[in-house]
Amino acid sequence: MKGRWFSLLITLLLAMGWSFAQTPVRGGTLQIGADASPSGLDPHVATAFASFIVTGQIYEGLTEIDERLRPRPALAESWTVSQDGLTYTFKIRSGVTFHDGKPLTAGDIAFSINRVRDPKTGSPIASRINLIKDVRATSPTQLVVELSQPFAPMLIELASIAVMSEDYVKAGNDMQRRPMGTGPFAFKEWVPDTYILLERHPRYWRQGRPYLDALRYNIVPDAATRQVGLASGTYQFLPNIDPSLAVTLRNTPNVKLITTQDLAYTLIGMNVSRKPFDNPRVREALNYALNRQQIVQAVYFGNGTPAGPLGLRSWASPTSAFPCYNTNPARARELLAQAGYPNGVDFGMIVIGSNKTVVDAAQVVQQQLAQAGFRAKVEVLEQGKFIQEWRNSNFDTFASINGGNADPDGYLFRTFSTGGSTNVFKFSNPTVDRLLNQGRTTVNEEARRPIYARLQVELACQGPIAHLVYGTLFSAARENVQGFKPIPTRSLIYLRDTWLAR
Amino acid sequence: MMLSFLVKRSLDLLFVLFGVSVLVFLMIRLIPGDAVQIMLGANTEITPEGLAALREKLGLNKPIFVQYWDWLSAALRGDLGQSIWTGRPISEEILQRLPITLELTILSLIIAIGLAIPVGVLTAYWRNSSAEYLIRLFSITGVTLPSFWLGTLLIFLVFKLAPGWQSLGYVPFSQDPWGHVSRLVLPVITLSLPMLAGLSRVLRSSLLDVLNQDYIRTARSKGLSERVVLYKHALRNAMIPLVTVIGIQVGYLFGGAIVVEQVFAIPGMGRLILGAINERNYPLIQGAILLVTTAFVLINLLVDLIYAKLDPRVEYA
Repeated sequence: MKGRWFSLLITLLLAMGWSFAQTPVRGGTLQIGADASPSGLDPHVATAFASFIVTGQIYEGLTEIDERLRPRPALAESWTVSQDGLTYTFKIRSGVTFHDGKPLTAGDIAFSINRVRDPKTGSPIASRINLIKDVRATSPTQLVVELSQPFAPMLIELASIAVMSEDYVKAGNDMQRRPMGTGPFAFKEWVPDTYILLERHPRYWRQGRPYLDALRYNIVPDAATRQVGLASGTYQFLPNIDPSLAVTLRNTPNVKLITTQDLAYTLIGMNVSRKPFDNPRVREALNYALNRQQIVQAVYFGNGTPAGPLGLRSWASPTSAFPCYNTNPARARELLAQAGYPNGVDFGMIVIGSNKTVVDAAQVVQQQLAQAGFRAKVEVLEQGKFIQEWRNSNFDTFASINGGNADPDGYLFRTFSTGGSTNVFKFSNPTVDRLLNQGRTTVNEEARRPIYARLQVELACQGPIAHLVYGTLFSAARENVQGFKPIPTRSLIYLRDTWLAR
Repeated sequence: MMLSFLVKRSLDLLFVLFGVSVLVFLMIRLIPGDAVQIMLGANTEITPEGLAALREKLGLNKPIFVQYWDWLSAALRGDLGQSIWTGRPISEEILQRLPITLELTILSLIIAIGLAIPVGVLTAYWRNSSAEYLIRLFSITGVTLPSFWLGTLLIFLVFKLAPGWQSLGYVPFSQDPWGHVSRLVLPVITLSLPMLAGLSRVLRSSLLDVLNQDYIRTARSKGLSERVVLYKHALRNAMIPLVTVIGIQVGYLFGGAIVVEQVFAIPGMGRLILGAINERNYPLIQGAILLVTTAFVLINLLVDLIYAKLDPRVEYA
């Protein structure tokens, strides 16, 4: 009897605690432990991840990508698309102000999109929207975007274009150093290698948001230091951590892990313009030699899924659709022999050294490949050198991690189309090119699906990339950090909904 | 005599600085990958034209000799240029970081020297006792432990023993005096321990050497107290090799500071230079290295002058 009352009391208390925990409180500074210092804060130019997690709080786009990787309204309240799929008319949200107090107009948005398109800006995002023919503001609250051909991922790509104030940019402000947008947090201070401080945008258009007074990105290069810093409460939030750090933090008191499937994936890239990888059989053999499940276990501690070319949402084909995903070293040797390499092959593999997960994966892959006669000479390179070799296609193979995109076109087109902007493999295949074009110009999602299914089969075994693993995206936070939701794109937009329980 | 020595050394200094500036300038441009590529990150989709546009914006498109001349002529006028990312003058960036590293290294130096002298003397006197073996074991460990490892170990130890202790990052003294001091403790231990170990070993062996010299026997036979023999005669002479080693160690200390700052997330010169190299922030690397070199050469000069004070036999030529 007594016990029942007691448990009822406990339940009541828990329920009360729960409801308290569910009511957001305003105030406080979130101490973030970031692993790298951003190289500039102009989101049209600096696209490295260290910049992106900061600028994503300062700027917004017409649309934004939600946790299910769908585009949804942000600065655009709504939109209509013409019958032929070529004209997008956006209704711009009213009552939005920049951090300097000026109201947002459609003109600012047109200016921002054109700034990205302008070759003088040198924006890496420019190629994503090269199907845009014209952008113009027809009124302060209406924007018209015209395309040269229908472009299915248009709304998703627009999410990546940060909207800047035309006046502010034209006044000569250096956007790399003094960013200013409409986002939930405004830039306050940047002390290089030390911290970046953002403060709450008091006139933010989402009622009551953000809850936090400030975000402080502490730059802490050492993983062990970040770990202790979180455990001791010096930092309250570590975004997007390595799986190995997640495993060590798993049983830390007052620390919780926040997870979702990652859009980013590890890969082995092969240079199709070099021997022996010019031969599709060799590329297929390499796939047979891999054991992706083993990589999931050894590198991701079980937290990941073997990757096909597409890993997420409704687009991914099951890996059973790809015969070469069944590990078979004997078959690999056979294919190698058929390709004219009965004694196996020697080749180089460069590895991006800044990412521990990739370095670990490369070592496991090297072992696996050796059993099928692929003798890889692994060379771990510093990031700057890696990027240069990568960009110049100066490699036999490489191991790296790719960011991935919410829309299949965003990833596949630039990577696999002939002359694509990240086609460093020199891969060219007419069937693939045709399917890629079909995929991006077919706007109806149901009609796109079979196109990408076909593409994945084309690419999985003989493409220039052996996709390894889509990992689990881990962030770690103190127990009292509430309201944050992770997004597979690694964006931190939900910091605007985050609050600190007392 | 002394004056001409100083003039000669100052000329040397100019020559060294010029050489270093050329070397640094060439070397950092030989590292593959430039600021633009770092800014874009891996896996970005930019056209060669886009890359060229960005390089032009950052002034990286000019021929290397032009870049060097632009930089040198400005530097001679006292302008070290601007940081690529923050746009702030290099001199300002350095002035903000330098005091942090100086505080760290000077404190470590004082602690290391202050402890090395008694430890060295005691081990020389307690030769072959078990206490001496213990201290020697400690010094060998101290010399061989890599500082990144020692630093990480200390962080974890302190976290286990005193979870509330704020040991990471940096707070200016003016803002929070206690927070400032508490964050300095671990990095200073990390930096001074290997140095303490090294210095006390040098002092011990040079003391043992000196204590076997004839003039010590003479001093003792004159009936001088052991205290006077030790402090007036032996220690002073045994200090000469120690000063040389300290001079060299200061260089290592700076190298250690780079690692320690990285581990403890302290925004000093080490982080500044390391960050600048990672980001290919050329003007910043040049300015910072030039400054560190100058400091190094000046310290060497200072060591030479101290020699003369300790040992009148040293002549300046």
